Amino acid sequence: MMARVLARRPHVSMPGITAILVKELRGRMRGRRAFISVTIYTLIVAGFAWMVGRILEESARQNFGFSPQYQSASIGRGIFVAIMFLQTLMISVLAPASTAGTISGERERQTLDLLAVTPISSVAIVVGKLFSSLTWVFMLILASVPVSALVFVYGGVAPDDLLRGYFMLFVTAIAFGALGIFFSALIRRSGAATGLTFVSVIVATVGLTFIWVFLRIGEANNLDANTLAARRPPEALLFLNPFVSQADVACGAEGGTGSWCSIIADITGTTQAFAQPVGGVGIAPGGFGGGQNCVSDGNTTTCQAIAVPVGGGVVPVPQPIVGKDIVANDVVTGPESLRDRFWPRAALTLLLISIGFTAASVQLVTPTRRWRPSLPGFLRRLRPRRSA
Amino acid sequence: MTTIVRTQGLVKRYDRTLAVAGVDLEIEEGEIFGLVGPNGAGKTTTLRILATLLEPTAGEAEVAGWSLARNSNDVRRVLGFMPDVFGVYDDMRVWEYLDFFGRCYGLSAPARKRIIGDLLELVDLADKRDTYVQGLSRGMQQRLCLAHALVHDPKVLLLDEPASGLDPRARVELRELLRELRSLGKTILISSHILPELEELCTSVAIVDRGRVLASGRIADIEKRLRVGAVLRARVIAEGEALEAARVWFSGQAEVASAAILPDGLVELGFRGDEVQTAALLRDAISSGLSIASFSRAASDLEELFLQVTGQDEPAPQEAVA
Repeated sequence: MMARVLARRPHVSMPGITAILVKELRGRMRGRRAFISVTIYTLIVAGFAWMVGRILEESARQNFGFSPQYQSASIGRGIFVAIMFLQTLMISVLAPASTAGTISGERERQTLDLLAVTPISSVAIVVGKLFSSLTWVFMLILASVPVSALVFVYGGVAPDDLLRGYFMLFVTAIAFGALGIFFSALIRRSGAATGLTFVSVIVATVGLTFIWVFLRIGEANNLDANTLAARRPPEALLFLNPFVSQADVACGAEGGTGSWCSIIADITGTTQAFAQPVGGVGIAPGGFGGGQNCVSDGNTTTCQAIAVPVGGGVVPVPQPIVGKDIVANDVVTGPESLRDRFWPRAALTLLLISIGFTAASVQLVTPTRRWRPSLPGFLRRLRPRRSA
Repeated sequence: MTTIVRTQGLVKRYDRTLAVAGVDLEIEEGEIFGLVGPNGAGKTTTLRILATLLEPTAGEAEVAGWSLARNSNDVRRVLGFMPDVFGVYDDMRVWEYLDFFGRCYGLSAPARKRIIGDLLELVDLADKRDTYVQGLSRGMQQRLCLAHALVHDPKVLLLDEPASGLDPRARVELRELLRELRSLGKTILISSHILPELEELCTSVAIVDRGRVLASGRIADIEKRLRVGAVLRARVIAEGEALEAARVWFSGQAEVASAAILPDGLVELGFRGDEVQTAALLRDAISSGLSIASFSRAASDLEELFLQVTGQDEPAPQEAVA
């Protein structure tokens, strides 16, 4: 029975998405266009990576006292971070640019009506357009993987760091792409839609970050009575800035310690403890003095110790020590203290926002019945449909 | 005959303007139905409501038994729509354009292949299969747009001003095409403000003005109901006094309101009779010895009808579109 019903009424939501995808990709990938864009993108990434590599190698040559392995690893990390930041910048421009004209373009060319009278749903139109635009962006991102993988030659970056970085790039593309689709559906003219999309991207990244920095400086001397740590503006202000998430990924590559981590520590309110190793692997006695810093969430006090290498040698790995003071000769082992504190939440926020923008776009594209969800197909079939 | 399109009290209001002020239409299956009216009469709005692109402020409409409000998706499956102003996608070949819409209707690959071939034959674009859409002439694009509306073999075709912007040759081709579609069993609802174009094509019309239907039905029926006069023109093979005598003869006949000789020698008659009486007049003229080379209705019936209907002192709806 069900099979017969389905056969009579083919569900066109998926074919609808496929139809839009096929049409858009035919246009985008036709001729040499796709080949040229991929080549240019990869050349930019590779050229930039090569230049950063040269700069880092040159400065490493002038730094004595570090082991070659350590130096090689920091060059690798430097190149990795540079590639990720450059790609974040390019994706932040390309993803909204590729979507901001899609629906307004249909309106301008007066083709949206032709689509709207077919049974394909508005969801299929919006999602199909978003996916097809993003397919092109994803293709660019994936084309850069072999270039990024060259950092493994230097070391200092684990494959999972690369995965984290690329995941954030994809999320960035989806979020800013969805933003572009939203303005494209909202505004009839492509030029205006593109302009507003870029203004929004700048507000979300630079604007909100500036507000965070402003608040951070304003509260620098406003210390918490319990922990004596400075109050911090909400880190959620920075969730929309993919560069901060990439900094968190870089912090992960640093093993949870280092300059990128200190930025993340400042943002997330995790205070790092810097301790000088005294006589081998060990941590100086604690307290709020020079040895370590602690934060308290009311119940437990978390102290973190990070050892910085002095005169080369093995870098002691820090660990969070919960509820106890660090005493001399405590052996510092264990997991990275600051890994993955920021970017997973930022990615989740961006993905949720993308869903919101996509849903809003669907409503804007639907010619009738705005903001009125229709029943799912299987429920609609139960109702008498023929009124004559 | 079954009614395939039915609207009841269709109203569309934009803020303070009333674009459609209660339109009732009944269109039988297999008809070519003309929606006649001046610009701004509400023709496009009515068609866009039927095409599920606009929601009516009030009233109901049904296409092939499906309610527009409740089963818009089912309506879309039985409906082909060609808007008055339509664009084409850049970067698409003719066959890809039709293939895209075939996919939109969920047609399988073999079905699409077969239908694209058939449709390109039908609209005479088979040799343009691999041409880019933007490289087609306006008339070809119009035919392609018509083909796209036929991809899913709809029962009802809504064509909004299909002949606007077409040269005379393309118009003739379009008319032939529509006749062919009618013979394939399609019901066609066509809007236009160019009356002669509709007259030759339509089986029924609705005359709309300021968002209201002023008259609807078969052209002959409306004519009968409204007792509209027609203008007849006769070419009598005669000159000078003989021609004047012919004029006098005509002016003495029943139902002839006026008779005049035009500068080109034609005799023009204001005639109140119907077709049977027209035939009788011609028969009498010949049997009374007039040599008549041609005898025909001069002005378009529909034009006459339209002027008659819209000239009536209908109280204009308030806030109506000018």
